[in-house]
Amino acid sequence: MDFDLTKEQEMIRKEVRKFALKEIDPIAGELDEKEAFSEELTQKMGEIGLFGMFVSEEYDGQGMDYISYIIAVEEIARIDGSQAATIAAGNSLGIGPIYYFGTEEQKQKYLPGLCSGEGLWGFGLTEPTAGSDAGGSKTTAVQDGDEWVINGSKIFITNAASDMTMGVTVQAITGTRDNGKPEYSCFLVESGTPGFKAVPMHNKLMWRASNTAELYFDDVRVPKENILGNKGDGFHQMLKTLDGGRLSIGAMGLGGAQGAYDLALKYAREREQFGQPISKFQAVAFKLADSAMEIECARNVLYKACWLKDQKRPFEKEAAMGKLYASEVMSRVADHAVQIHGGYGLMKEYKVERFYRDQKLLEIGEGTSEVQRIVISRYIGC
Amino acid sequence: MKILTTVKKVVDVELNIHVESGAIVEDGLQYVINAWDENAVEAAVVLKENNGAETTLVSLGGGDMTDIIRKCYAMGIDNGIHVDDPALEKADSSVYAKVLQKVYETGEYDLIITGKQAQDTDSGQTGIMLAEYLSIPCVSNVIEIQVVDDGNIKVSRLGDAGTEIVEVALPAVVTVSDSINEPRLPAMRGIMMAKKKKIETTDLAGLGTSYDEVGGNALKSEVVEFMKSETRQAGQKFEGDAAELAVKVVDLLANEAKVL
Ligand SMILES: Cc1cc2nc3c(=O)[nH]c(=O)nc-3n(C[C@H](O)[C@H](O)[C@H](O)COP(=O)(O)OP(=O)(O)OC[C@H]3O[C@@H](n4cnc5c(N)ncnc54)[C@H](O)[C@@H]3O)c2cc1C
Repeated sequence: MDFDLTKEQEMIRKEVRKFALKEIDPIAGELDEKEAFSEELTQKMGEIGLFGMFVSEEYDGQGMDYISYIIAVEEIARIDGSQAATIAAGNSLGIGPIYYFGTEEQKQKYLPGLCSGEGLWGFGLTEPTAGSDAGGSKTTAVQDGDEWVINGSKIFITNAASDMTMGVTVQAITGTRDNGKPEYSCFLVESGTPGFKAVPMHNKLMWRASNTAELYFDDVRVPKENILGNKGDGFHQMLKTLDGGRLSIGAMGLGGAQGAYDLALKYAREREQFGQPISKFQAVAFKLADSAMEIECARNVLYKACWLKDQKRPFEKEAAMGKLYASEVMSRVADHAVQIHGGYGLMKEYKVERFYRDQKLLEIGEGTSEVQRIVISRYIGC
Repeated sequence: MKILTTVKKVVDVELNIHVESGAIVEDGLQYVINAWDENAVEAAVVLKENNGAETTLVSLGGGDMTDIIRKCYAMGIDNGIHVDDPALEKADSSVYAKVLQKVYETGEYDLIITGKQAQDTDSGQTGIMLAEYLSIPCVSNVIEIQVVDDGNIKVSRLGDAGTEIVEVALPAVVTVSDSINEPRLPAMRGIMMAKKKKIETTDLAGLGTSYDEVGGNALKSEVVEFMKSETRQAGQKFEGDAAELAVKVVDLLANEAKVL
């Protein structure tokens, strides 16, 4: 058994941490306050290679293992949830499906631009009436000669309405299966396709500097080669994508918990009340001790899930556990961190309130905590 | 143009270091690239990008240098040489310079770029001594390097009263200030590619020399004891009206700090 990271993994952690401190930390608060998605920062993240991390070099990816990708997301999330969201969604949801399920032509066409960070790609699954119950979606695609005609709408789609967005993958019903259930397929829809509209969503509680969109498809025609992989594979592709995506949401929970804990520990050692640093009060120290312990446990379960994936072994149960556990750890740690900051913790001048807000999405996105528990309970035979 | 840069591994002083019986406790220490050497590496890579050059870095000393050298690869350095010899553990600047002279003589380099000092010893002598041993020109504290032609470079050096522009014939040694550039963060791709690159490892015998020949048995200087710097005391803050404050401050300056 070996708990050591490789030299590359260590170096990736170190360099991404430096990048986050230098480029993201000074502006994260302001971007959050203004609810501004920064194209400039996204491009900088692209330049140092934060997109296409697990994609092989032949498609201009970075050729890293999955755990390196997860470490990079963790380090960005340690500083800012919004930028981590851009990276996690960009890789797992934008690039992932094209890389894993796309045809050779699709990969050649789209991956280089996405891996360099010049462009972003969204993944449209959730609909206004179909969230946890993704099987209840209503968007349809009908073949008409050499084209598919898509109609419907999607909601809460990350990276889908920025000026850098090159397109979206959208899941639609393409028929009925033998068992009477709908058949799903995924389609690649480029930005600017007539009838396709992406509208930014505003007034979010969290991830305020991440781009979120509502998508409308009104008789959108795409060439038949824009189907992702094979017809009828849509549901399977979505499940596989979410399995990987869960690891990146887990990484955001882990990194965010670490970031909130770092702030709380520093503050507790500096803030004095009753003539001593508040870290000396057992009530405060125990909160920090619990946080440190839970972060350690979250890191272990998450890295193990990544390790299983890198070994090409089943990792789905562990991915659900890692996502669920890390996001709930961040909830508890961010709560402690604000409590330790007292009144200052509620002020925007102190970064910790942003962690407290950003955390909540992690228990909802890419499968709510309840859904993760359903997934785990199925794996253990309930 | 062939450029040689030197990279020293130093203790990461951002983490706490512990001193016991006059020496730093090795256990649990972490190492980083000497900050000025990172500037030297960046300068070499910039010259390569702008003018075309083959860049080689050399690192001296025993122990594992893999991460340090790979990081420089990731920044854009082409070749890495590690002179891995335990004998160098106690070496001083003069010994280092002699070893570098041997390295220089095994390749044909036009320009040697070093950091102007190392952050652990702050002695700032190695580059200058190397130039002396090689009988080639040296410009120190450089903040800009321009290539004039194949045989000449023009550098700016920061002096006390202003900036001097110096034109030097190659081969030459240049020691760089940290204001010359801001070292790049290596890109992910670079980190992954670095792993695939070979590091040439040699020792003093491999360089055709011995510890005695480079002056190791007659060190010009030796560290006999290490004392940790005092951590700064927290400042004091006083409140009150101006007259009271002035009296208080003057009293402290005279009686506590004893500077008046
Ligand atoms: C900022 C943001 C970014 C997002 N990015 C994307 C994206 O890029 N692509 C994308 O496709 N989607 C995205 N989503 C959507 C996200 O995945 C959904 O919000 C999530 O899956 C939950 O769906 P819902 O909001 O419709 O909630 P619902 O499914 O309506 O759930 C409401 C509540 O009911 C509970 N519930 C539902 N079913 C069950 C059950 N069977 N048993 C027990 N409890 C249940 C849920 O756990 C939850 O507590 C994003 C969402 C947000 C907020």
